[in-house]
Amino acid sequence: MTAVALVPFVMSVLLAVSGGWLGRRLPPATATRLLTVASLVTALATGFILAVVAFTLLAPMPMLAAVGHWSATVVRGHDPLPAATGLLPAAAVAGLLAAALRRTITVGLDLAAAERTCRRLGSAPTGLVIVDDDRPDAYTVPGLTGRIVVSTAMLRALPPDERRVLLAHEHSHLHHRHHAYTQLADLAAAANPLLRSAAAAVRLAVERWADEDAAATSNNRGVAVRALARAGLARSGTVTMPSAALGAVHTDLAHRARALQQPPPTPRPVLAGVLAALILATAGAAVDTSHATERRFERAQATFAHRR
Amino acid sequence: MARKPRREPGTLEREVLAAIAAAGRPLTPAETLAELGEPLAYTTVMTTLARLHDKGALTRAPAGRSYVYAPAAAPDTLDAALTARQMTRLLSAGTHRAETLARFVADLQPEDEQLLADLLTTHRSDDGDGTGTGDGDGNSAGAGRADGGPRR
Repeated sequence: MTAVALVPFVMSVLLAVSGGWLGRRLPPATATRLLTVASLVTALATGFILAVVAFTLLAPMPMLAAVGHWSATVVRGHDPLPAATGLLPAAAVAGLLAAALRRTITVGLDLAAAERTCRRLGSAPTGLVIVDDDRPDAYTVPGLTGRIVVSTAMLRALPPDERRVLLAHEHSHLHHRHHAYTQLADLAAAANPLLRSAAAAVRLAVERWADEDAAATSNNRGVAVRALARAGLARSGTVTMPSAALGAVHTDLAHRARALQQPPPTPRPVLAGVLAALILATAGAAVDTSHATERRFERAQATFAHRR
Repeated sequence: MARKPRREPGTLEREVLAAIAAAGRPLTPAETLAELGEPLAYTTVMTTLARLHDKGALTRAPAGRSYVYAPAAAPDTLDAALTARQMTRLLSAGTHRAETLARFVADLQPEDEQLLADLLTTHRSDDGDGTGTGDGDGNSAGAGRADGGPRR
């Protein structure tokens, strides 16, 4: 094993530490795409390298060496670790793989439920389903076509310009298939728990993305802020008196509201470039490790054949 | 000031549907225009209403020299409402359930409520006419859409 094999782990830690910051700093669409790709590549690379490490450590075991026709000494190389230590990464890989599999099944079941709901909600030629309900709510159901569901209570709670913001926000989710990003990032986080903060950042970034699309329907970003505030309060059903300590609120919703009060986000080509380069480095490290390991086993097999 | 991007037709259709549902009663094209609260051309609204009627999303009944439009009463509206509610409950159960539903505003933290209440107060005051229901001036189709003039 070389130091290159550590790159995906370094990347995991980097994303764990700075995932949330990156998600807020990059423009929402860029953040969504780059962080999703970064999560997937990092999850695959860490899983792959852990598997390679496990296999390489276990390979000198006489039974495996005999089956694989390779020289135990050459495979062991300069690694001083006993073969049994390979069981640790092997167990880790098995556990993470099982978690990823479980997550995939859950997501699949959820999507199937969503698709069934879409069917039951009717054909909805415009994609909008208005539900006669006295509880204010608005959400997007993913599916082959997907639906925007808004209750009549929510429509009545909002003035026309804010209704427009709400519809544009939900349409943005469907149009850009935001659920695919959040689910892929969640899947990556299941396969590598260090990527959880990146998955949370993707979830926030898609909301910000939809917020920006919605804010673009009006010349006044204040309308989008009001829509967010009014819809949120309508949903929670509370009438709270205004108070102090605004800046102290650090929830995702507070971030969305604050971002809408500022001018539209600017592109961050340098930051995006750095993240893209790190993604490539992570993928490259996995490929390099794969080649190095392949060569090692070829040498071990050659030695084994020669000795015979 | 940034110019408002051109909207695809589906967007206006959804807004018209929402406007009629929000009113809670059948609307004439003129009333729909007023409910949309936007300086749109009357003919644009007429066309959109007709298209929605063709698609079966709206029903219409003659009223005087025009029509009144109402949401097409889907036979299983109640069922749909129930389904939607079940879906909501199902998917919001559990802590790390897939975020299958993309909510406009998710469940609020206690501190969120105050923040939102404050935002609503501040943005109401600095916003001139915030909640007008539209003047329905019906300016002509070309001039009304393309200008970048001040809008709500």
